[in-house]
Amino acid sequence: MSDTPLITAKDLCVYYGLGRKLIGTTPVIRAVEKVNVDIPKGSFFGLVGESGSGKTTLGRALLNAAPISDGKVSYDDGEVQYDVASLSKQDLKDYRKRAQLIFQDPYAALSPRMTVRDIIAEPLEVMGLTSSREETDEKVREIAAKCRLNLEHLRRFPHAFSGGQRQRISIARALVSNPKFVVADESVAALDVSIQADVLNLLKELQKELGLTYLFISHDLSVVAHICDHVAVMYLGRLVESGPTRELFNNPRHPYTQALLSAIPSLDPDHRGQVQKLEGEIPSPADPPPGCKFQTRCRFATDHCRREEPKLEEAGPEHEVACHRWQELAEKEAVG
Amino acid sequence: MTELLSVQNLKLKFKTDEGLVTAVDGVSFDVAPGEILGLVGESGSGKSVTAKSIMQLNADNSVYDPDSSIKLTDDGKTIDALKLKGTDELMLIRGGAVSMIFQEPMASFAPAIKIGSQMVEQLVLHKKISEAEAKSISIEMLERVGISDAARRFDQYAFELSGGMRQRAMIAMALSTRPKLLIADEPTTALDVTIQAQVIDLMKDLVAEFGMGIIFITHDLGVIAQTADRVAVMYLGRLVEQGPVRNVIRNPAHPYTQGLINALPKLDDLGAPLTPVAGDIPSPLERPSGCVFHTRCPVAIEGKCDKDVPEMFPMEPDHDAACFVAAKQEEAA
Repeated sequence: MSDTPLITAKDLCVYYGLGRKLIGTTPVIRAVEKVNVDIPKGSFFGLVGESGSGKTTLGRALLNAAPISDGKVSYDDGEVQYDVASLSKQDLKDYRKRAQLIFQDPYAALSPRMTVRDIIAEPLEVMGLTSSREETDEKVREIAAKCRLNLEHLRRFPHAFSGGQRQRISIARALVSNPKFVVADESVAALDVSIQADVLNLLKELQKELGLTYLFISHDLSVVAHICDHVAVMYLGRLVESGPTRELFNNPRHPYTQALLSAIPSLDPDHRGQVQKLEGEIPSPADPPPGCKFQTRCRFATDHCRREEPKLEEAGPEHEVACHRWQELAEKEAVG
Repeated sequence: MTELLSVQNLKLKFKTDEGLVTAVDGVSFDVAPGEILGLVGESGSGKSVTAKSIMQLNADNSVYDPDSSIKLTDDGKTIDALKLKGTDELMLIRGGAVSMIFQEPMASFAPAIKIGSQMVEQLVLHKKISEAEAKSISIEMLERVGISDAARRFDQYAFELSGGMRQRAMIAMALSTRPKLLIADEPTTALDVTIQAQVIDLMKDLVAEFGMGIIFITHDLGVIAQTADRVAVMYLGRLVEQGPVRNVIRNPAHPYTQGLINALPKLDDLGAPLTPVAGDIPSPLERPSGCVFHTRCPVAIEGKCDKDVPEMFPMEPDHDAACFVAAKQEEAA
């Protein structure tokens, strides 16, 4: 793609301080460490990893909703360009209209005391996007129709809706300010499979209709495989692999990506027991292991991996992987 | 064949301000020792309520139909779970013959009491053993479920453990009394896929070792395919399909089961469109007449499915589905 990406993160770091100590330096949690990522315009960009891998923090940092400690995030939608890490108050206000967030739990994200109309209208009123009540109503009705909510729904309160309908309300609220960039943080994780498919299809339709770019954060690789065109895998604050979806799922190079893929329960009952098991759990980001962050759980780890942290290398067209041994392991796999 | 658990014609209503709400409507199934029964359905389908009935854990406003029976056979004795009254009798099943693990392990442990004390407390209550004995059994169980440094973990609080570890501790606690039946209510839903795979393996190992029966409740058919021997699919308080896991997943007979399988993203065919089950699950206050699924069913026959309630029709040996259309197709074939 020759176009400039909508979002570019360069060496992005997010650190959280862990209280103060009398002697010595303050310990910090490195939630996101030197992440480089380009999100092309109009893409459905997937971000996967276990809980604690920093995917939510990265998503929020791109929205300027988490403190950016170091590095750069640029936003360029063709109309305006922003350096997200250092926005003036006025620019931040404008950026909030252009970059929005859809939350995970549609039960917690909607105020039970507001009608659906008021929930969807709130961003318009807060951001001062409309000048009259008629105009607000008009916009609310328009976006509600796009999210397959009918007029009668607008007068009700959230408790009257099922999970799937609530998620459609959250989507309508996020899209009412006409954003260009939307971070969907585990937006289908709390839904039943039957409804999940419906919400995913809706997100895809809205993308076409409104020209949106998504960052789709999820721990469910099978969902990501279906809906995203590009996927990045995170582990302990680092990007360990990224690439176009098909390429990544057909030729996963990082042992962590391979383990994640094989852990997805297969629908075939005779496929049992072929899972490549990942022992143990993700280490605490307050006490990360030296060298490659994955070495404590990696079955291919060597002394080299324990000493030196691997950098992202090119493993194919647009496909990058951070592993010392990926080439060697890929050759071994090809031989059989 | 001696079944461990036999649920017959379970009907359960809740008394609410809006009147009686039907939660479970005529559900029957059996669980044999050493068998894992997967109970699948959307939220609101009544799967948790059914499981809770076995331990009589439903709220006070629940009304059981007099014809319902839940029989548990333990060492040749049969207990009718619905006839038990009072704490002493209920202890035979609650934590005695039956244990339960829940979805959210953080909510299942008391936050201000050490994990070990909670494990010891229930062991002393049920097994009438000394605290020292209970402690050694508990530590042994923690080790058995793969918790390293079990003696130290025994003295920790729930918040000090990670999600996967908490769920393991929960399983250790549930199994330390050696129950005959384990009810697992969405035990892996809150976990990462990698940890989920570990917990599933652990549960399968434990079934092989202890020979207990498990009712595994989940909405994830992939998890069911990997764990269960038999599957029962529930919709709006009714059992719509039941059979061995291979038959149900490969040849789903009921349109609802077919819909659930089609809605699932498949890794071997990334281009395939995701087909949601049309519409939402109706409110239990407005139960549809006839077949409860007819409002969302793509093949419903007008004048038949919205009037008559389908019984369970045999499809293949040991595989039944409650659907007129599927029964007709089966007859023709």
